[in-house]
Amino acid sequence: MPDTAFNNVSAVDQAIITQALIAAAHEMGMKLIRSAHSTIVREAEDCSSAILDAHGKVVAQSELIPLQLGSIAHTFGPCAKITPPADLKEGDFYITNDPYNGGQHLPDVFLFSPIFVEGRLIGFSATVAHHIDLGGGAPGLNPDATDVHQEGIIFPPSRWNLDRDWRNDGALQRLVRANIRMPDHTIGDFEAQFAANQIGIERVRDLCARHGAARVETAMTEMLDYAERRMRAALQAVPDGTYYGEDFLDDDGRGSGPLKIAAKVTVSGSDIAVDFAGSSDQVKVNINSPFASTVGAALSVIKSALTSADLPFNTGCARAVTISAPHGSILNPIYPAPVRARLLPTYRVFNAVMKALAQAVPERVIATGYDTTYACCLSHLGPRGYNIYLEIFGGGYGAGPDNDGCDAVDSPLSNCGNIPIEAQDMAYPFFRVRDYSLIAGSGGDGRHRGGLGFQRVYEIASDDVTFAAYGDRFEIAPEGLFGGSPGQKAAVWVQRGDTRIDLPSKISMPLEKGDLLFVQTGGGAGYGVETDRAEADRARDRIDGFV
Amino acid sequence: MRVGVEVGGTFTDLVAIGDDGRLLVTKVPSTPARPDEGALNAIDSAGIDLARVDDLVHGSTVATNAILERKGARVLMVVTEGTRDILFIQRHNRRQIYDLFYRKPEPVVRRRDVVEAPERIDATGAVVDALDVETTLTRIAERLDAEDDYGAVAICLLNAYVEPAHEQAVADAVRKRFQNLKVTVSSDVCREFREYERASTTALAAYVQPVIDAYLGRFGAELTRRGHTGRFSVMQSNGGRLPAAGMARSAITALFSGPAAGVVGATRQAVRSGFGNIITFDMGGTSTDVCLVQDGQPDLSAATEIDGLPVKTPVIDIATVGAGGGSLVWIDDGGLLRVGPESAGADPGPACYGRGGQRPTITDCHLVRGTIRAETFLGGSMQLDRAAAKAVIAPVADQLGLSPVEAADAAIRVAEANIVRAIQRISTERGHDPRDFALLPFGGAGPMLACRVAEDLGINTVLVPPAAGVLSAYGLLASDFVHFESRTHQVRLEDGNAAEIRGVIAEVGAAAAAHLRDLGLDGDVGLKLGLDMRYVGQAFEIPVDLGDRAPADLAPATIRDLFEAAHHRVFEFDKAGGSAIEIVAFRAGASVPPGVQPDLSGDAAVTEIADHTDFHEHGAQHTGAPCTTRPGQGVPVTGPALVEDGTSTILVADGWRGAVDAAHNLILRRDEEKQNA
Repeated sequence: MPDTAFNNVSAVDQAIITQALIAAAHEMGMKLIRSAHSTIVREAEDCSSAILDAHGKVVAQSELIPLQLGSIAHTFGPCAKITPPADLKEGDFYITNDPYNGGQHLPDVFLFSPIFVEGRLIGFSATVAHHIDLGGGAPGLNPDATDVHQEGIIFPPSRWNLDRDWRNDGALQRLVRANIRMPDHTIGDFEAQFAANQIGIERVRDLCARHGAARVETAMTEMLDYAERRMRAALQAVPDGTYYGEDFLDDDGRGSGPLKIAAKVTVSGSDIAVDFAGSSDQVKVNINSPFASTVGAALSVIKSALTSADLPFNTGCARAVTISAPHGSILNPIYPAPVRARLLPTYRVFNAVMKALAQAVPERVIATGYDTTYACCLSHLGPRGYNIYLEIFGGGYGAGPDNDGCDAVDSPLSNCGNIPIEAQDMAYPFFRVRDYSLIAGSGGDGRHRGGLGFQRVYEIASDDVTFAAYGDRFEIAPEGLFGGSPGQKAAVWVQRGDTRIDLPSKISMPLEKGDLLFVQTGGGAGYGVETDRAEADRARDRIDGFV
Repeated sequence: MRVGVEVGGTFTDLVAIGDDGRLLVTKVPSTPARPDEGALNAIDSAGIDLARVDDLVHGSTVATNAILERKGARVLMVVTEGTRDILFIQRHNRRQIYDLFYRKPEPVVRRRDVVEAPERIDATGAVVDALDVETTLTRIAERLDAEDDYGAVAICLLNAYVEPAHEQAVADAVRKRFQNLKVTVSSDVCREFREYERASTTALAAYVQPVIDAYLGRFGAELTRRGHTGRFSVMQSNGGRLPAAGMARSAITALFSGPAAGVVGATRQAVRSGFGNIITFDMGGTSTDVCLVQDGQPDLSAATEIDGLPVKTPVIDIATVGAGGGSLVWIDDGGLLRVGPESAGADPGPACYGRGGQRPTITDCHLVRGTIRAETFLGGSMQLDRAAAKAVIAPVADQLGLSPVEAADAAIRVAEANIVRAIQRISTERGHDPRDFALLPFGGAGPMLACRVAEDLGINTVLVPPAAGVLSAYGLLASDFVHFESRTHQVRLEDGNAAEIRGVIAEVGAAAAAHLRDLGLDGDVGLKLGLDMRYVGQAFEIPVDLGDRAPADLAPATIRDLFEAAHHRVFEFDKAGGSAIEIVAFRAGASVPPGVQPDLSGDAAVTEIADHTDFHEHGAQHTGAPCTTRPGQGVPVTGPALVEDGTSTILVADGWRGAVDAAHNLILRRDEEKQNA
């Protein structure tokens, strides 16, 4: 155990600076959400924020979207390689969304702003937001893309200057504006990101003014070491060994059949290694996971299952973790494979690693849940331009050793809120939500039952509406744990007059006025055998119609 | 005579002010099962003749506890067809993103108790599907026939914030057919968009209404039986009171009234010394509440939550952090010194209480470093065990490589930092500079940390009121009668809309004032007007205070300036000049003052500080520091010093000095050479 003198920062100062940096990252995230323009950021909160040290290591972050947070440092690296931090000046920023250079998928645009104190670089404030439309082959979402270029505009890791290139209709802003379909919303969201980064800069500067820049820098370094120590302490408690787990994607939407994700997890002392050898080769459609996403998913499940809730997640945690995936596999694809729906394979990363850990620490894991992002996009081209609706749906969580799975909630790697129906009624006159309800009985039975999926029914109120979506678990149900039953699968169909048109998990199609679009997400699987379920729990579920 | 009775979790406090201005303070144990008994005990114990009480103001935790303990009425909820699960699906996100065993906050309505009404209104208020009242009533009747313990009906239909006609039609039909059921309608409780938050508020309002009605009915009848004929009013979470009869329509506003009353009492007391800008800081056994007050007006928030469930109603904007005297001091598995959020609570309490506490708390730390004295704690009414405190801190000290006294000091500094963070949340993060405020600590544990918390925030003045332990009860008496009205009404800020904007402002103001008049309150009605505004395209509005400007003075250009200043304060950026701006909601707060303003005074005779003590604080050992009970007016106190004030100890830190002023407040100022720029 370390003693009080954290490298010349007292125990008190360390505690205070740690809390202040975490608070700064949190405030950035809240202000990003509250000043954003698109519903995907302002209502669904599909964005994240962080404070990095001068070397680009994440020291503190907001708790918003796990997958975006897991690999911010990984995303930063290529930016620093193009323009070394030493060459930055006040007002500069890095931008990137390049999946083949440390990014995730194109909609997630990362902005890094350097923090200078008296001319010296102390660190970076960073935000990432999911942008509603960045061009590409279809509004909001192009499920038919066969390469990454059809998915939208790529920002390679690069350095720009806020005053020179962005503000006052600067060249970069004009370039972006010309390439996207809803410029007012998207530019508004970029402004919200810049403003949030500025808040981070101000807060770190205040902290340096109070404690001295050198002390803050030392405290940042210690925050990484601290997180690493706690991560290693947690890993020490896991029995050494090699554990194996696997799960499958339904298919590539073009008849491939199941696509395997395999995880070999090796715990040795205070180190953990995850190797995805044996996973499927990359595919021609957009369900490839850039390596940054694979890393983010693996770190999330390790953090969730093995560490205590109050361990601040930062780059220090990652030092105890080694992750590898074969180049050219679905978890580490080669350019120019499309990657828009990368959450689908990354969820199977989550499931495969969880199944492996279930052998080591059965009381700390949950059964497989719906664990899928269903991205649901409706767009309409009217006389006043494009109007694009995009929402991210989860379903039921897998059950745990002492609890039923959570009903109707976003899946573990994401954390998007829903868009209130009243907000949709205001913003999207071309459809109307007619039903938003739990699907009774969709959670797998067991000692504890899986969480329920839910249903949304959209009434299409206009012609010229396009529906585009991707999802999974239409074919392969989430598997129960320790004798639990599987959760119910997802289903999507259109009711057109008397005709029911069943749709596959990946789809793009025109809809007609009067169509009813049914979206049903899946339930989570059960934990333990159903004969062990308490009668009181069964009675409650029955009386209240949950089953 | 005027009497304020505040029922808290542990104690029931009473402050009475006689017609001669004499102050009477009483504290009796609360009676949680029947809180009114504790209130009557306090009245009896103070020897008050209810026949001579003109003004009785009451605050209680009845509404809050009904929700926390799930003891409200069984509620039948009516929603738009297709939205049955609104209270269960909630917002589809999680508060702890890495928690695999996550559970959503538990609603107060059961799923079987939700009934769907065939109807639909769109975002413009137009009817898409006509309301089918008969089918709705049939469905309600089926539930009421099936089970017989329903106490209330809540109605929340989509887009009712724009057009409440369907909700009102259902309400009328239910009232007519089922006369024994209380009906609560979302458009009466909260006329704002976002259906989950509005439905949650409506359900909670319906849930507590019968409880409050029964409680106030019983208590009021007993007061009358004992001869009380004066005014009987009840505290609300917005910091104002309402005649008890007014609660029959809005019981949800009774949530969290105790902390609100404390802020009102603190504010009133500070204004008497000429301080309108203060940050209050109420540190008790398990948590600390902080609130920002500008120009004598506590900040309001448009929403709060209880037990994870959203409540959209104006409340005094109090931030709470888990740092109190009972907060546990510990070292985590990464070696970091931590304080709270876990607390030793009342049982076993701090180790020094000698009731079996085995883990160190902030109170133990104070005792070890000497800033609480065992012999004078709570005026000497309770024995403290310093050896026990030292023993439980020793392991923490060993791990940090410090002496027990140094470790205790370090832990208190971490607690101070936690409170500084809470204050930054309500100041810096909302665009207020804390240096423009004085810090006002109260509660048992606050005044010991105030000077250092102030220093960290750049605050140079600390104001400690007298009888700080009963500030909430005093706040009841000092509070105005208050009622808020709001309207969601979306309109662009353009010259062409100036008349419409002025019209709605005037209408909302008139409605708020009329509500108070309807309750029989005469006297001058003060109006505070505000708007919720945003740039077109944003979803979250920011509050823009219009102060007491007359509607006629509110030109769009004036409103634009106020909005842009407020937006810049919060977000530190503006959009280009001329960007489209819209008003989303109009708010009005009407208030009527309670008549004569009571004063809180302390009776202190100490003219010279004779006693001395030793303590360790912020790394320095002070030997023979002055130590006194509350000094008389004008007697100088120079830090480092301790002022033992009955229910709390005031630590005058090194570098601070001051004296009690004519309003009986102890005003401490930081020595000039140490002040921040």
